[in-house]
Amino acid sequence: MTAILIADDDPDIRDLVSFKLEQAGFEVTAVDNGLAALASARESPPDMIVLDVMMPGMSGIDVCRELRGDPPTATLPIILLTARAQEGDVEVGFGVGADDYVVKPFSPRELVSRVEAVIARMRA
Amino acid sequence: MTVAQIATFALSVLISAAFVLGMVIVVGRALRHARNAARARLAAPGRRALLALAAGDDAPDNLDALVQLDPAVWRAVEPTAVALLGKVRGEAHAALVLAFEQRGMGDRALPELRARGAIRRARAAEVLGNLGRADAVPGLVYLLHDTDRDVRTVAARALGRIGDPAATRALLESLAGRHPVPPQTVADAVMRMGADAQPALAAALDHSADLVRATAVEVLGLIGAITVAPRVITALSDDQSPEVRQRAAAALGRLGTRSALAPLLEAVEPGRPPALRATAARALGDLGAVATAPALGALLSDPEHTVAHAAAYSLLRLGNAGRQVLEHAAGPGPAAGPDPTHTAGSAGDRAAGYAREALARFDLDDQRRTGEVGATVAPPPSPVTDGSGPVIGSAPTAVGGR
Repeated sequence: MTAILIADDDPDIRDLVSFKLEQAGFEVTAVDNGLAALASARESPPDMIVLDVMMPGMSGIDVCRELRGDPPTATLPIILLTARAQEGDVEVGFGVGADDYVVKPFSPRELVSRVEAVIARMRA
Repeated sequence: MTVAQIATFALSVLISAAFVLGMVIVVGRALRHARNAARARLAAPGRRALLALAAGDDAPDNLDALVQLDPAVWRAVEPTAVALLGKVRGEAHAALVLAFEQRGMGDRALPELRARGAIRRARAAEVLGNLGRADAVPGLVYLLHDTDRDVRTVAARALGRIGDPAATRALLESLAGRHPVPPQTVADAVMRMGADAQPALAAALDHSADLVRATAVEVLGLIGAITVAPRVITALSDDQSPEVRQRAAAALGRLGTRSALAPLLEAVEPGRPPALRATAARALGDLGAVATAPALGALLSDPEHTVAHAAAYSLLRLGNAGRQVLEHAAGPGPAAGPDPTHTAGSAGDRAAGYAREALARFDLDDQRRTGEVGATVAPPPSPVTDGSGPVIGSAPTAVGGR
């Protein structure tokens, strides 16, 4: 089963995304901050990570940058989920190596499609 | 009573007070924790149906379950439901709206816009905005002048979510007056109105308040209102406010019309305010017209740091034509050339410094993009040596910043 790690400090979003991805057949691990996401990804690398950008302590951007800089996690597919929708924000997200960028408010169905597309691309 | 007795008494009073205060805090936290836990237990069944509905689960049971929830359970789950409305879109949002409407929340919220308490007014505005209730627009427009700042902000946000262009003028006018709405909130709301908001935005360029004109011109640029470009050009050349002219320059860069070229080139000429010249130089980069390469190249030796710096980075955005100008200005010198902020150097030295900095930054970004960057890559020389200003000049960003 494809394992997905979700990091979001908003419990509603975390539960919603977990629910939707579990319904779609993924095995989901959810954490509420960037440091926990980094630790979890390093300890047991998932098949994909969905990261909120604005988290207290360590942002999704920071986590993405750290993961990309570390060979064991450098190629992990990463989707950023964020309310920051300006062109510059998106540019920063892709600049640190994110594979896709989903802006809040988001469509849960579309998020699943994006997750599946990125995973398919990585496996192609 | 001796001094020692007084001191002992005061100390015991202090210790007792600290003990009582500590107990109040501990008991208060315990009560709050217990209350939250009880609410979570109460909300659990409804929360499950709510998440399923918001996740787009097609089972009709979820909607029925939410609509038929016991009022006490709904009250416990309602804060999550309201929050989710603003966090999802598409089918998930539509399904939640249906659940809210079937529970009668929209109809109950309408009269609440006139409630005595600010929290009730703000909550009603939030709900009506999330539900997209067009019949709430007049009430929300009224709240734009509420005495409570949070209510005004929530009302503006709600109007943006409803997206009725008829509210554009009221939103822009809410920037002025005794109880203004934050510019960022107004700009975000108006940007959601779509193309039908353009006439009101263009009309706002004649408003007496600088902030209204500045916000209107910036939003026109952000929404790509190319049909209003002539009016933005007039704002760039004629507006009395330097801030409005600066934002007009940035807007013209975003609009990207051919007609913007001449006024922007005029705006970078010496004699204009440096902030305007820098913004216009950056806008020329946004415009991306290779014909501007010679003019931008001439600005590399400008004595104003922000102008020369903006020109160098705009040249990078012009592709090969801009790069050739930069390489010519950089000359054959070392990678780490003269510090361009040293105005004592010749014009050629200053131009070379800015050109080399931009080229080095481009190479570094290119290496980052291709994954070839390593620990041995040195950062490019920074033109800012005294910490007196931002590296990327002072372009006006989205109104009010983020």
